[in-house]
Amino acid sequence: MRFLIRRLVSFAVALLGLSVVIFAALRILPGDVAVVMAGLNSPPGRVAQLRAEMGLNRPLPQQYIDWMAGLLTGDYGKSMLTGQSVTSMVVERASITFPLIIFGLLIASAVGLGLGVAASLATGNGVRTFFRVFGIVGGSIPALWGGLLLVLLFARGVGLIGLFPSQGFPQEGWGSPGAAFASLVLPALTVGLIDGASLMRYTRSALADVMHNGCMIEAMACGYTRAQALIHVGLRVIVPQLVSVAGLMFANMVTGVMVIENLFALPGVGSGLIADLGDRDLIAVQSELFMLAAFFLLVGLFVDVLHRVLDPRLRRSSEGRM
Amino acid sequence: MAQHDMLPAETVHDGRLGISDVVAGSCQADAVGPAGAEGSPQGRDSSPRPALHTPDEPVSLKGLGKLAVVLRSMWSQGEGRFALVVLACWIVVSLASIVWTPKKLWETDGYHVWAPPSADHLLGTDGTGADVFSWLMAGARTNLLIAILSVMLAGVVGVTLLMAMVSRSKMVSAISVVAVDALISIPTVLIALILAVPMGASIAVIILACGVGYGLNLARIARPQALLAAGSDYAVSARASGASGGYVLFRHVLPNSLPSIMVQLSLSAGTAILAESGLTYLGVGVPSGVPSWGHSLSTSVKLIDVYPLTVVWPGLTVTVVVVALNLFGDVLRQAIDPIVNTALRKVAA
Repeated sequence: MRFLIRRLVSFAVALLGLSVVIFAALRILPGDVAVVMAGLNSPPGRVAQLRAEMGLNRPLPQQYIDWMAGLLTGDYGKSMLTGQSVTSMVVERASITFPLIIFGLLIASAVGLGLGVAASLATGNGVRTFFRVFGIVGGSIPALWGGLLLVLLFARGVGLIGLFPSQGFPQEGWGSPGAAFASLVLPALTVGLIDGASLMRYTRSALADVMHNGCMIEAMACGYTRAQALIHVGLRVIVPQLVSVAGLMFANMVTGVMVIENLFALPGVGSGLIADLGDRDLIAVQSELFMLAAFFLLVGLFVDVLHRVLDPRLRRSSEGRM
Repeated sequence: MAQHDMLPAETVHDGRLGISDVVAGSCQADAVGPAGAEGSPQGRDSSPRPALHTPDEPVSLKGLGKLAVVLRSMWSQGEGRFALVVLACWIVVSLASIVWTPKKLWETDGYHVWAPPSADHLLGTDGTGADVFSWLMAGARTNLLIAILSVMLAGVVGVTLLMAMVSRSKMVSAISVVAVDALISIPTVLIALILAVPMGASIAVIILACGVGYGLNLARIARPQALLAAGSDYAVSARASGASGGYVLFRHVLPNSLPSIMVQLSLSAGTAILAESGLTYLGVGVPSGVPSWGHSLSTSVKLIDVYPLTVVWPGLTVTVVVVALNLFGDVLRQAIDPIVNTALRKVAA
């Protein structure tokens, strides 16, 4: 309980701190937001007009408080380019990014856990080498390049075996589930395989550590084979660690997701943010950055709490240290 | 937290750099001021050499003798040899590219754009007719710079946080633990995007984002080992004999946490290279016109319809170097562990 309260407070403080950082990052531009947004060749009155429109005449603390008040009441502002509200823009984009991430995580866990267990059970020298090479090389491939290789192999048009589309997302979105799904296959495979390789290394080394643990020996003494003991007992022992690792990995995976969205021309959260940044749509960028920060802090909070729930050793310790 | 001890590495670089980085990191942290300098009144001025020295205290990597032993034991393994050779090539190519590349970077040839490999252009040309091989060579030095600086920054940030986390001041350690836990889930790319708003695309964005992000990771991963050292008999006896909190942290806890710190730093170098290629592609990393592997990779994306094989080279370069950095970290883990590497104990004695 003490842990939970402490963690929630730190979450709130971190979020507040990041909101100040994001706000400050957008204000320390040379000139100000209005000058940047108006562009170089704007008519003379345009900058002043924009400034008034966006409330940039007010003192900075006032602007910050207004922005925060808006965020708290669910008003994330409007895009200066399209006039669309930032919330609806993000929801629309998340409908692509979210399935992509889930899909990628599923592939990563299947590959990571499956191959991790297989690698721990493998006895042949050749097989062990194969798993080691896969783990190290797979985790060292830049996402951009991994995506390109998959395109060269499997994309319709360019690839050797034209199976999946490599560009864009169907116009009607999830209205045509088949096409939408197909356009996510290659992106999700890219992210999933790269992170699956890293997860496999974690799984293998965690299982190796647990191998000589008393519970494994007892399970085998009770008649489990090595494989059974590993899957039924060993995996259960390392699951809390893996959740923690997966949480950290998730943060790393996001760079890959952003790159992949751009490469495959998917209009998702990452590519949208990059486009807004390029368009100098700074109001949208400010709110989008805040939403992303909040999301990742939440993921971190969730993973920490889940780790505690899954690992009884931590739950019982009265001290909230961790 | 115990699980973090065995996390496989993700990235990195040359051993000599690692050591100096960490040293630089600790000096910096010292200047910033140790968190737990509560110690005894006679504290650091009299700087008493702790009278009770436990004989089994592992020793930090100092002196060329130990460096030679570590390098030799890395060299004796196939994987370590591969890592050392690749990293040495990387450094040599980076230095060479400052004075010589096969073609001048800006020497373009309008008649031979997107050219396939030939004797004249080893790896072909890009869309402006510039030589791909020369750009890769020049990119090596940008990436080397990025790797070194981000690792140094990560060392400074990480060691400062680590020392704060294991300091004996309850306030300082509680705050830093909670802060690291809360912020660890913020991805590097998000830090980079926030920085890129005011700073634009620049190498500094990559270095700052990686340094802060990997510094947090380092602090979290090295914490169990540092906690162990902070609670060990030699730390207790040092305090009992009158050493100040700061003295114990930097004289005992830090040296004994160095193995996990160095391994983690060497892994971070590889992650920094991967981050560079991603961020540069996204337009918030290395500015256009500056050679880097991320830049070469991004230009090759446009080539994919015309001459698919050109895509292979920049990606292969990055992958091989990152693999080498990962292997380096793995092998380093064993080579600097005095328990596994018995030769190291002999030098220390």
